[in-house]
Amino acid sequence: MNSRNRRILFSLAVLVWSAVLLYFYASGRITKYLAPDFRIISFAGGLGLAVLGLFNLLTAGQQAGCGHDHGGEEDPHDHESGDMHPLTAVLLMIVPVVLSVAWTKDEYSAAALSRKGLYDAPSAVSLPFLASSLPALTLEEIEKSHRKTPDGFLEFNLMELFFSSGDREMQGLLDGLKVETEGRWMDEKIRNPHGSRKRLYRLFITCCAADSRAIPIVLEFGKTPPEFPENGWVKVAGTMRFPLEEGVIQPVLTVDRVLAAEPPYEESFMRKK
Amino acid sequence: MSPDSQQDFALAFLSILFEGVPFILLGTLISGFIDIYLPAGMMDRFLPKNKFFAVLSAGLLGAVFPVCECAVVPVIRRLVRKGLPVSCALTYMLAAPIVNPITALSTWKAFQGQGAAMMTSSRLLLGFLIAVAVGMIVSKLPLASVLKAKLVESLEKDETKAAHDHSCCGHDHSHDEPAEENRLVAAFRSAMKDFVDVAVYFAIGVSITALFNTGIAPGAQWLDGLAKNPTAAPAALMALAFILSLCSTSDAFIAATLDKFSWGAKLAFLTFGPMMDVKLLFLYQTVLRKRFIVLLAIGLFLAIGGISIYWQQLVFAAK
Repeated sequence: MNSRNRRILFSLAVLVWSAVLLYFYASGRITKYLAPDFRIISFAGGLGLAVLGLFNLLTAGQQAGCGHDHGGEEDPHDHESGDMHPLTAVLLMIVPVVLSVAWTKDEYSAAALSRKGLYDAPSAVSLPFLASSLPALTLEEIEKSHRKTPDGFLEFNLMELFFSSGDREMQGLLDGLKVETEGRWMDEKIRNPHGSRKRLYRLFITCCAADSRAIPIVLEFGKTPPEFPENGWVKVAGTMRFPLEEGVIQPVLTVDRVLAAEPPYEESFMRKK
Repeated sequence: MSPDSQQDFALAFLSILFEGVPFILLGTLISGFIDIYLPAGMMDRFLPKNKFFAVLSAGLLGAVFPVCECAVVPVIRRLVRKGLPVSCALTYMLAAPIVNPITALSTWKAFQGQGAAMMTSSRLLLGFLIAVAVGMIVSKLPLASVLKAKLVESLEKDETKAAHDHSCCGHDHSHDEPAEENRLVAAFRSAMKDFVDVAVYFAIGVSITALFNTGIAPGAQWLDGLAKNPTAAPAALMALAFILSLCSTSDAFIAATLDKFSWGAKLAFLTFGPMMDVKLLFLYQTVLRKRFIVLLAIGLFLAIGGISIYWQQLVFAAK
């Protein structure tokens, strides 16, 4: 392949990557993939790739010198030959990206979520930075720092409820408290002999979806739970309990009401803008 | 692949890609401009005359001239031909992909919430120490046991030529300086070539990582099993780094997703990978003797693995 065609081919490959980055940013779908800090960096990367690809595409036929001596046959280096055939390189770059764009549904399946901690006990998870997200340590301060719904439920972040199971003091304060929280709806596959339970979770994204962890609590209905789509967003209100089940303290919300909800803007709910 | 597996793969693949691409682009743009605008002799001026301090300084040159491991091999080949001591060239070759601001920034960003400062500083320090140690050992070895025979011969020829006085040879050694816009075009082309080279390996690496990350790959459970073993975990991740052949500017984004592995194992992954992997094995053969490459690989594996295990114990014992 001659140099000009190789440059055109590489430029197009770079532009495809650029288009994918810019599309996911512009469409807002990036929120499912990256924590807020990384989104603008990804956008800048997409713009940078557009400049690199367009510049090289527009100057593909132009003569250019690097300004230094290549030293003859003993030093065969040039500035454009790659490690492999240009077509192979471009296919390896493009195929997985195009397939992924076609396949993605912007969320994990239940099997992948299970691998990412959906059914792990809270005590098996330790993330050092979570201490800062926990609420204050008196009931008055908890009530002050959380809004109350008109029917008397305190609005809690799901992560607060999940990690309260690892903190005896928090358990004491939250046990029996009427709370409302939101998350994604999922089947309960463990410790559910009467089929009266569901699981509520959200993804905690540190940097990107690949390093995310599922943060779940158990929903107890005491009867057959209502039907909602798997992974759909719901708002749940009820009474918080921390029973010891098979040697592990579980955060269990005994549900009074559950409603389908709009997905929140942020999948990654720990980070602040 | 089932539809569920396709959806899981796609989400993991795209998220790592979106996170890593800007850092690869930054690295390759800088590398492309250095390739075209930096004269080879420039680096010599930064090095002290004393051999020991020269090797130490070479280990830090990446902070001034940041290049990734793919770009560094052609650079040191040229530098060695221009008279840079082999010990300094190899120190620079091993250290520059790690001890540079782009790698530091990407490691720090990737490990947010996972002890970013400790991981970044440990990676830079370990990379620097290992590279300097290799440089010091190489400074005691004869050239013929390190460099390819052809390169040694050409160096000897160059020394003979150096005695040749240009003022009376009757021909012109100067080269026409190309126009500035032509050099800009050349710099962008070099950057694009570097980007494509790295992007190909990155795409392969991210694909494999996404398969393991979501449990689709058949060996995922087995790899998870090794994660709990303090000795096998760093060895497994160094082997993975060797196979994945990732760029040092983006490998931290992969390491950060290996959440079942210890901190020390990830450090081993991040230090060993930029110094020795499948693609480097081929690139090193353009400069180094095969025997030396094998010994270097074994030495790096043992030293980095051992220090990472020790460092892990030290850090967590202190907490």
